[in-house]
Amino acid sequence: MATTVQSELQTRTATGAQAVIRVDDVHKYYELGETRVHALRGVSLEVKPGEFVAIMGASGSGKSTFMNIVGCLDRPSSGHYFLDGTDVSGLSKRELAIIRNQRIGFVFQGFNLLARTTALENVELPTLYGSRVGKVEREQRARRALEMVGLGDRVDHFTSQLSGGQQQRVAIARALVNQPSLLLADEPTGNLDSRTAVEIIGILQQLNDQGLTIVLVTHEHDIAEFAKRNVVFRDGKIRKDEVNRERPRASEVLKNLPTLED
Amino acid sequence: MELMSILRIALRALARNKMRSVLTMLGIIIGVGAVIAMVGVGQGAKERAQQQIAAMGSNLLFVGSGTVNRGGMRLGWGATKTLVVDDQRAILRECPAVAAAAPGDGTSAQIVFGNDNWYTRITGTTPEWFQVRDWPVASGSTFTQSDVDTAANVAVIGETVRKNLFGATDPVGQTIRIKDLPFRVIGVLIPKGASAAMGQDQDDTIVIPLTTLQKKMNGNTWLQWIMVSATSRDTSYAAQQQITTLLRDRHRIRPGADDDFFVRNLADMANLADQQNTIFTWLLASIASVSLLVGGIGIMNIMLVSVTERTREIGIRIAVGASEQDVQNQFLIEAVVLSLIGGAIGILVGVGTSLLITNVLGWPVKISALAIVIAVIFSTAVGIFFGFYPARKAAALDPIEALRYE
Repeated sequence: MATTVQSELQTRTATGAQAVIRVDDVHKYYELGETRVHALRGVSLEVKPGEFVAIMGASGSGKSTFMNIVGCLDRPSSGHYFLDGTDVSGLSKRELAIIRNQRIGFVFQGFNLLARTTALENVELPTLYGSRVGKVEREQRARRALEMVGLGDRVDHFTSQLSGGQQQRVAIARALVNQPSLLLADEPTGNLDSRTAVEIIGILQQLNDQGLTIVLVTHEHDIAEFAKRNVVFRDGKIRKDEVNRERPRASEVLKNLPTLED
Repeated sequence: MELMSILRIALRALARNKMRSVLTMLGIIIGVGAVIAMVGVGQGAKERAQQQIAAMGSNLLFVGSGTVNRGGMRLGWGATKTLVVDDQRAILRECPAVAAAAPGDGTSAQIVFGNDNWYTRITGTTPEWFQVRDWPVASGSTFTQSDVDTAANVAVIGETVRKNLFGATDPVGQTIRIKDLPFRVIGVLIPKGASAAMGQDQDDTIVIPLTTLQKKMNGNTWLQWIMVSATSRDTSYAAQQQITTLLRDRHRIRPGADDDFFVRNLADMANLADQQNTIFTWLLASIASVSLLVGGIGIMNIMLVSVTERTREIGIRIAVGASEQDVQNQFLIEAVVLSLIGGAIGILVGVGTSLLITNVLGWPVKISALAIVIAVIFSTAVGIFFGFYPARKAAALDPIEALRYE
């Protein structure tokens, strides 16, 4: 109970440079038959606007659970999660759907695009839900988002006609279309070759430079080092949280990488 | 989410699996088609029965000489000899609900014309009969009261008799022989077809003056029946009452004793035929709707498969902000679209089948607008009902699990 009062106080005081994400002592349990899995054991974290955080950890470290809670796909068993200053840990499913739609952009490892659908329509998808957006504006927004990821010339291509890297870029454009305050990328480079992976990271860096807050989950060190801050999870707790002072620029790295010819 | 967007998504999802969608619809198509065709057949039968009953005469009542119980032996229709022409006159005079009445008797005989002969029913009556039965002549004329008064040997023949005896020859003015008596044919009745009540061919008859029949053939003075027409459809029951009271009085039947006559109201027969045909229609429709039910189960089955197949898509939609309601609506509308398209095709199939039945089998089929409306409502309801469970299942998916689904 004490933590509840405390966190509410903190919300009120922290109105100035408000954190995009503030997680207060979050626990998550799963009941698996008889056993109770304690996936998160008291996690507290704050992410300020404009940050680029890489979350690392082995599988089973709790990083995916953490991501699901941050992405409003799941709710904490206890503790509080403030997104843009709003306590979302107690919201209904419907309210969470609106939050996901308006404030969070998702990028997944498996791209998760709709099959037999054009790039444009994939990007338009989030604008179909939540607030009403006119057909013309919907298309404009989607085109702009696709241009931001460098796919302005591929809008009418179907998912199957795009390479892995291009598909992931469509996914990033889809995440951007509703101008979210937070981009969540769950192993976005996991299914890509190393060169394409760096390309994708490059896009994320560019977007971050423009002020977008990004949280990236990865288990690869060489991907994590492109972020501004690295957080390491182990056994449901944060073990390490450090600023990455000498981060490489993806655009520079790309120049030194050999181009793969097929 | 707007309805148009959902509709577009639903149509695209269905177009993606054309063969499957068509096969799924087939159940609804057959169901709706069968319901429409079967209700059409039932309604057609009902209508034809109504027409046939109406064709028997306007507001017709049939007074028959009755059954009688003599010393334990029960004799059938026509066994009594108490119904006479005076009764007919009395009915006409004393029953205000009666517009016209025609007395009659009948026999059967072999009729001969030239080398041809034909066995048929012979009706002896008065000119009022043509009015009461609402049965004019197609050619020639009917006989008159003076023919009755003089017991003239004139005959008006039915269409079936004409066909069998005369073929291409014009019968009017020809002479036929009935029981060795020569009769001059003066008219041919218009064809009426089979009767609704008894199913016999009404056109297989010859009509002659009552007196001629009674004096020259049957040798009696009593009547087999009196045909009465009430002043209107509404007064036919009143007429029935009045006739019954009058005849009981005239025949001196003590209170409590059985009538020696019977009065049959055509309205009763019409109602009976209506009831039978309604039952028939419902029977056909309920058998047909079983296939609609099976069609609905087919939709549910396919929608369940579709939800499982598209688990990942559902996960993506939920992740980017679709609410449970959005997902549920999407699948529900897909099911409704499926059943509505099926229903629309089903209507075409039903109407087509009805036309086929009319043309090939020659049955009267009445396509009712009501059946079509009900079919549309029913197929929508089937879509909602059988789409609901799969849609709920889709909406209840856990997005985390759904996104991980391979």
